[in-house]
Amino acid sequence: MSPMLTIAKREFRSNFDSPLAYVVICLSFFALGLMFFMLQGGFWQADRSSVERLFEYAPMGLSFLVVPVVTMRLVAEERRSGTLEMLITLPVSDSDVVLGKFFGALGLVLVLVLATLLYPFGMFKWPWVLGPLDMGPVASGYLGLILFSAAATSIGLLVSSLAESQAVAFFITFFVLAALWFFDNAAQYLSAGGNGGWFPTVLLYMSFQTRLSGFWRGLVDTRDILFFVSVTLLCLLVAFRALERRKWA
Amino acid sequence: MATDVMIEASGLTKRFGGVRALDKVSFEVRRGEVVGFLGPNGAGKSTTMRILTCFISPTTGSAKVSGHDVFDSPLEVRRAIGYLPQRAPLYTDMSVYDYLRFVAEIRGLDESAFKSRLKKVVEVCGLAQSLGKDIGTLSHGYRQRVGLGQALIHDPPILILDEPTSDLDPNEKAEVLRYIKQIGKDRTILLSTHNLAEVEEACARAIIVSKGRVVADGALDDIRGKTGRVRYVVAIDEKRAEAGNSAPSAEAARTALERIDGARSVKELPTDESLHKFELIGPQNSDLRADIFRLVVAKGWTLLELRRDAQSLDAVFRDLTRGDEKLDRGAGWKASEPEDDEDDDDSTSDEDDDDDSDEASDNHSSARKA
Ligand SMILES: Nc1ncnc2c1ncn2[C@@H]1O[C@H](COP(=O)(O)OP(=O)(O)OP(=O)(O)O)[C@@H](O)[C@H]1O
Ligand SMILES: [Mg+2]
Repeated sequence: MSPMLTIAKREFRSNFDSPLAYVVICLSFFALGLMFFMLQGGFWQADRSSVERLFEYAPMGLSFLVVPVVTMRLVAEERRSGTLEMLITLPVSDSDVVLGKFFGALGLVLVLVLATLLYPFGMFKWPWVLGPLDMGPVASGYLGLILFSAAATSIGLLVSSLAESQAVAFFITFFVLAALWFFDNAAQYLSAGGNGGWFPTVLLYMSFQTRLSGFWRGLVDTRDILFFVSVTLLCLLVAFRALERRKWA
Repeated sequence: MATDVMIEASGLTKRFGGVRALDKVSFEVRRGEVVGFLGPNGAGKSTTMRILTCFISPTTGSAKVSGHDVFDSPLEVRRAIGYLPQRAPLYTDMSVYDYLRFVAEIRGLDESAFKSRLKKVVEVCGLAQSLGKDIGTLSHGYRQRVGLGQALIHDPPILILDEPTSDLDPNEKAEVLRYIKQIGKDRTILLSTHNLAEVEEACARAIIVSKGRVVADGALDDIRGKTGRVRYVVAIDEKRAEAGNSAPSAEAARTALERIDGARSVKELPTDESLHKFELIGPQNSDLRADIFRLVVAKGWTLLELRRDAQSLDAVFRDLTRGDEKLDRGAGWKASEPEDDEDDDDSTSDEDDDDDSDEASDNHSSARKA
């Protein structure tokens, strides 16, 4: 097994050694269920056989809770406790460390994401069949969700590799992801005055919400895919540089 | 490998911001050598080891480990090395077995190799009863054993150990030193420690650093001989004397001893027995014991103890790293004091003794400050 996979495996499993992961998983499922069925009238009021609401709320749960919690420890905690020295002086390259940690964390996030498949399948296939479900938007919605998870996780990893402590990492990741999510609303608010200029456009361009909304409706735009992929790659690259920086400190 | 030099540091300099942690550190370690890496706190031992294991880069200078440059091929370097960082930072959420397995997996050991090495490592590090435990629940000493275990798991040709025995109990310490000595015959081991007795036991050679510079590098015997002094301890009964002679006062005994040819510095040592105890420094390659004995007999006193030590490594260490020590204890204040000159002569005195005097002058200086 390559060192990268070994690190990823360890990282993934370490989540289950602390009660934190279980708490986060339960909490996020509970919150998602609550939002899905209750918020703004809930699923039943909408009266459509669609799980678009799921894709709308799941990224929020990921942004505000799951990703910050899962990624905060990644590098910050290892640096603080000194285990980073132990890890890096094994025959692993810095990129093995960054990628291993990324995939380890993404693994857990994706387990959560895929667990939400229970909603579309449970309600529209078996045991309940509430109506005919168009599988197209479901598939594209999940594609969007996975791309989003990768981008968010890489942002969390980057923040963790720059932050002094995991608490700091948690809050910064939280705020960055929240900002990227609400850029959309901010842009609408700014341009509502009519004198938006270029700024709202930029916000809109970067908004994770705007980027994802196409996927929810079954629109797969290569520009959106590229956007998430490049955010991911860029963050991983900067995280790699941040890890290398220790050499010259 | 064409050359036998396994670790080669040349001109390593490392700056942390304004602090110069290393200043042109150069040394070589060959195959089959167990080298003690000594120095006071903050001398730069860990920094050097971190450079050798490619964790940090030197500001200038270069190093080769097992023939590979630490800058160009860190992976090859790390493959050849077993490294135990200071204080053995480990993943506290893993069990000992899982941790060793994780390290073995990254090092690419296959199942059977892992099994057989694990057996050996468990035996040497005394981990048999802790394999299933979480590292977070282990005592510090056991964590250090696990750290040592992970450094040994792949049976590396080069071992770099940063204070490997600092938290171990005496039994385990002895076992680890025995093992280091045993495997050191055909491997290369660089270990840092503050325990000089350990160095005397396990190492044939020592490198002493102070304030980021190498101040001594060589066989232990050479280093011991470096200051060229021999120390004598003399104890004289303070009550009894031969008929016709008076029992010696401390002052009388001291002046008499000072008159011995070659005796350089005579200092009274504290004791709670009814005797006068002195420490006497003599030149190297001479033996003053006969003179001391004859003097005591001639005076009609009673000699209770007479001992001649070659300069201990401990004393040499203190001598060589004196600058560090002084700075740490507020040398700026002390330097103006007249006794300062004497200090150098006292350098071979007992540890407690010296500390006392240092503390005393410390109090002085703080009093002056206030
Ligand atoms: N990351 C760092 N940032 C700033 N200064 C550092 C850093 N690491 C070490 N130093 C400084 O470098 C010097 C050497 O430190 P080092 O840890 O190598 O000492 P040492 O010989 O291992 O001491 P000890 O016996 O206490 O372990 C010290 O002055 C220390 O303050
Ligand atoms: Mg150190």
